[in-house]
Amino acid sequence: MNTCETIESVEAVELETVTVHNENIVELPLGLLGFEQIKRYALLQNKHESPFQWLQVIDQPDLAFLVLPALEVFPEYEPDVPAEDVKFLGLNSPDDALVFNIVTLGAKAAGTVNLKGPIVINRFTLKGKQVVLANASRYSIQHPLPLSR
Amino acid sequence: MLILSRKTNESIVIDGRIIVKIVRVEGDVVKLGVEAPADVPVHRQEVYDEIQRNNKQALTQGRPVLPRLPESKPRKNLKGQQAAGTPA
Repeated sequence: MNTCETIESVEAVELETVTVHNENIVELPLGLLGFEQIKRYALLQNKHESPFQWLQVIDQPDLAFLVLPALEVFPEYEPDVPAEDVKFLGLNSPDDALVFNIVTLGAKAAGTVNLKGPIVINRFTLKGKQVVLANASRYSIQHPLPLSR
Repeated sequence: MLILSRKTNESIVIDGRIIVKIVRVEGDVVKLGVEAPADVPVHRQEVYDEIQRNNKQALTQGRPVLPRLPESKPRKNLKGQQAAGTPA
């Protein structure tokens, strides 16, 4: 994280105040499905929580979505982003995209991850969208997280 | 609910900017073509409902305990080659 040019400060879900830099602010112009009115998120990561990251609502710091780059966790995951979404996000190549998948935590710290409707972000503009994959029928919206050991 | 009768290749216009066209009718399956501006998301309702419900369940408040995952596999991108998950 860059330490110069502090833009604003918001409270992280850990209730510690963290500094949010401009380069970590993700704009979802259409919001998330069901949260269409919330368009600005801070993308936060703590090393000890890796590979999990947080998409924290900018104006309501107690609200956040836990996300995971499923491409790193599930080698067989091959999200096919529809052409109109590629255009909407201004992606010129697959390398331009960050792909995050929303995690739902269950009881006893187990959880599931949504592989069907990932959040795809243009890593250069940090504009993103929750897309329904062209190959969505191959994937579960509640794919179990792999268990350690 | 407004109910309109349309034939194949006929359309309706919504708000002067969204066009819904009947492309084909096969038995009880109707194929629709939708032309909408990029800021108007179009989804199959059951998929929309499923993702919306999942998003609402996933929203967290406070400080949940995170599960421990096994060691990460080598990183790859959409085409399976390289890093993903870090802003440029």
